Amino acid sequence: MTSLKADMNVDTVFTIPIFGGIPVYESVVVTWIIIAVVFVACLLMTRNLSVEHPRKRQLLLESFVEWLYKFFGETIGEKGKRYVPYLVSVLIYIAISNLIGIIGFKPPTKDMNVTVALSLMSIILIEASGVIEKGPKKFLHSFAEPMAIITPINILEIFIRPLSLCMRLFGNVLGSFVIMELLKLVIPVVLPALASLYFDIFDGLIQAYVFVFLTSLFIKESVETSE
Amino acid sequence: MSATLFVAIGAGIAVLTGIGAGLGIGKATSSAVDAIARQPEASGKIQSSLLLGCALAEATAIYGFVIALLIILFLK
Repeated sequence: MTSLKADMNVDTVFTIPIFGGIPVYESVVVTWIIIAVVFVACLLMTRNLSVEHPRKRQLLLESFVEWLYKFFGETIGEKGKRYVPYLVSVLIYIAISNLIGIIGFKPPTKDMNVTVALSLMSIILIEASGVIEKGPKKFLHSFAEPMAIITPINILEIFIRPLSLCMRLFGNVLGSFVIMELLKLVIPVVLPALASLYFDIFDGLIQAYVFVFLTSLFIKESVETSE
Repeated sequence: MSATLFVAIGAGIAVLTGIGAGLGIGKATSSAVDAIARQPEASGKIQSSLLLGCALAEATAIYGFVIALLIILFLK
């Protein structure tokens, strides 16, 4: 059981020897690997694009991007469409990092620092989109909508939303990781592969989708003015 | 009355939040199945709403699980 406790904490892989040693955690190293892989994939897929004679790869890519825009366009509304590229990037990152547990790395979202960072970025984006769209005075005034009594609840929601976002993602990834480790201790042969289909793959993809969907829902709520 | 007894009881109580998730998701699924039976053309939208609702409801059960895990691992 002690190995389980050791797995819960995130190890330092190496220390950068400047400013008195900056420890580099395992989740950061795995994130670097994900960045490298996605970057290379993007470079490979966008070589030789052309308007006149599109090849099969380009058509596939274009239809995929079109589908993504339509998919998130419904939830985020017209005014929020410029945030879709960021949301899709977050979706790809969370999906890959949840699935990387299959290959043998420790998923970076198992570290609470990563999920808290993601949810902080989300809440900053939500509030900033409100300010950009409505202007600062009307944004402050919108805290009192639809009735002035709800103002403390609206202010509390600024803190509660990112908290629930990050705890949901962290709890799901940690839970599936712990259950997989326990299964491997008990029946190391075939059952982990089958169970991994549900826990790792299905759950990881759904959690990535839910995170991004909720962020886009909040953005739409914050951007829309009641007319 | 050793400390591990209380740790075990606390962790057990913490996981009871799973009851709420099970009941909620069961009721949601039954409504979704009723709706699909009533209007099969809308099954795509109903399915995605159902999936989203289940993921949100499951979050509360996961909170309880995480707390129980933290109690077991970090309380001596």
